[in-house]
Amino acid sequence: MKEQNAIEVTNITKSFKIYQDKGNTLKEKILFKNRRKYEERKVLDGISFEVKKGEAIGLIGSNGCGKSTTLKLLTKIMYPDSGKIEMKGRVSSLIELGAGFHPDMSGRENIYINASIFGLNKKEIDKRLENIIAFSELEEFIDNPVRTYSSGMYMRLAFSVAINVDADILLIDEILAVGDANFQAKCFSKLREIKTYGTTIVIVSHSLGQIEQICERSIWIQQGKIKMEGLPRDVHPEYMNYMGEKRQAIEKKTSDNSNKEVVAEKNEDTESGNGKIKISYIKIQDISGEEKNVFRTEEMMKFVIGYKVYEEVMDSCFGIAIFRSDNIFCYGTNTRIDRFKNIRLLNDGEIVFEMKNTLLPGEYNIDVAIESEMGIYATYCKKICKFITYTDIEDIGVTRIEHKWEGSCFI
Amino acid sequence: MNTIKELYDYREMIFSLVRRDLKGRYKGSVLGFLWTFLNPLLQLGVYTMVFSIIMRSDVEDYYLFLFVALVPWIFFSTSLSGGASCIWSQKEMVKKIYFPREVLPIAFVTSQFVNMLLSFCVIFPILIINKKPINIQALCWLPFIMLIEYLLSLSVAMLTSGITVYLRDVEYILAIIVMAWQFLTPVLYSIEQVPEELKVIFTLNPMSPIIIAYRDILYYGKAPNAATLMQAIILGIILLMIGCFSFSKLKKHFAEEL
Repeated sequence: MKEQNAIEVTNITKSFKIYQDKGNTLKEKILFKNRRKYEERKVLDGISFEVKKGEAIGLIGSNGCGKSTTLKLLTKIMYPDSGKIEMKGRVSSLIELGAGFHPDMSGRENIYINASIFGLNKKEIDKRLENIIAFSELEEFIDNPVRTYSSGMYMRLAFSVAINVDADILLIDEILAVGDANFQAKCFSKLREIKTYGTTIVIVSHSLGQIEQICERSIWIQQGKIKMEGLPRDVHPEYMNYMGEKRQAIEKKTSDNSNKEVVAEKNEDTESGNGKIKISYIKIQDISGEEKNVFRTEEMMKFVIGYKVYEEVMDSCFGIAIFRSDNIFCYGTNTRIDRFKNIRLLNDGEIVFEMKNTLLPGEYNIDVAIESEMGIYATYCKKICKFITYTDIEDIGVTRIEHKWEGSCFI
Repeated sequence: MNTIKELYDYREMIFSLVRRDLKGRYKGSVLGFLWTFLNPLLQLGVYTMVFSIIMRSDVEDYYLFLFVALVPWIFFSTSLSGGASCIWSQKEMVKKIYFPREVLPIAFVTSQFVNMLLSFCVIFPILIINKKPINIQALCWLPFIMLIEYLLSLSVAMLTSGITVYLRDVEYILAIIVMAWQFLTPVLYSIEQVPEELKVIFTLNPMSPIIIAYRDILYYGKAPNAATLMQAIILGIILLMIGCFSFSKLKKHFAEEL
């Protein structure tokens, strides 16, 4: 093991037997021996990485990719099938909070039980007691039985114990969602503080933002292998792109089956108007003309709308509106607003509406309308199609507004 | 060797689990911790009633004869049957947190052991009231016998708790095994009453010498016989090795099985 490393993981593999129906009793084990079908699933397939002392790394990946298993192997709850894990120093895990809490005992007594499970002895707990109580902000309640606590208070106490263990290596699994926003911020700054003392931290999280705030390095695990490793700001966009594409593939599969029918069975509810013009099809494409319905924020997108003329129209107008899935009206425009005049629709045709997608992640529905004369709809189609947006930027709200910051304090 | 060092580091966990068990057991009841003493006292009352009024036995003060053997037996049998579920019942903890797995059976058996010690607090005054001979020299052997029984109980608890994780039946089979085992141990009767051809079973039973020793010390007021002691020690060590070895093999896959 290298001197500067706190964790060395070399080529570990781990498989689980997935039983379709797991029998745990003697009868089931003997009688149904051949019936007990299982498949061997390789969760980790040769993962190697090193973590330096005092470094913080984040493990990311989609559900079931093996990141939590990796963490469990690091805590020695499980053992790898092959490969080697070496660690230096006391390990504390924030995987399960409040282990061993007894509801009838006071907060103080539970601190002792819980801390002892992390391997502290009485003297060490005595020394930390003040800090633990202060951090949990539960001074007034500390001698009340834990069963009288609210779940938020319970978690606060549990987190305070875990974070005050003073481990050399801290393993965290998706638990920074503790307590109210205030307490979360406190946990976060505590984590940063711990890091400055030289504690090595490994975090598993779906919140890339959290990882970016604490970690120097991200490891992206995909189907039991390391797909990419590096600075969070390099890895995360790649990861988000991949996730977006995956989303798209799933959407495409479902839309392939359903899309055409949806257009065909448009009914009175979603379509209205006098029927002089009708929409015959609508396609969403990216800039290269490929049809898809998952887009990245800031990607260009095209709506191709085909129409059929049943009765000639002399002064038409095309309109489009975007609603988020929770029915927030995000944007609307039409050709009249954009000052097109005298649009004559004599024959069937096609128009293209091109826009830069500035919408933030979510699901969006499109309404399309064509007027036969000012204020009278030839056709109005509600929710005629939908698309999904994803992004690696973390702006919040509905749309990304172009902006910049200035000031002498910005370097 | 590593395990022992690690267990030493985790000694506080063992203490707090024992404390939690003992204190938490009677939490919420009116009499609270008093139950720990009341329970054996009431049991003794029942035995006295039954054996001095209904089923009279030839043995003098039969209820005492029985009781000095029954208290240690209950310690052993609870470790055996109750110990089986001590890992299963803490599965959330085992699945999510690392600690030496031996802590759980050790804490369980220790808490049963403390219970037995508290029951002994009831036994002694009663022995004195009944004017049983108290032999100081014999009493010196008592901690030693208790230690051997403790190790024995720990071995079976490790064995059964480990197996129960993989095979839930063990917990239920054990109820019957414990009952049968009690009759193969001289708890209700003395070893002299056992027919000669059955004595082999009794000598192979590691609990026989221990129960006999308890009775020698407390009921007869004499030091236990050296041969009995040796037998208890040897059987105890063999069982402990089996227990530790199988537990160290079984514990590797606890988290996956639970």
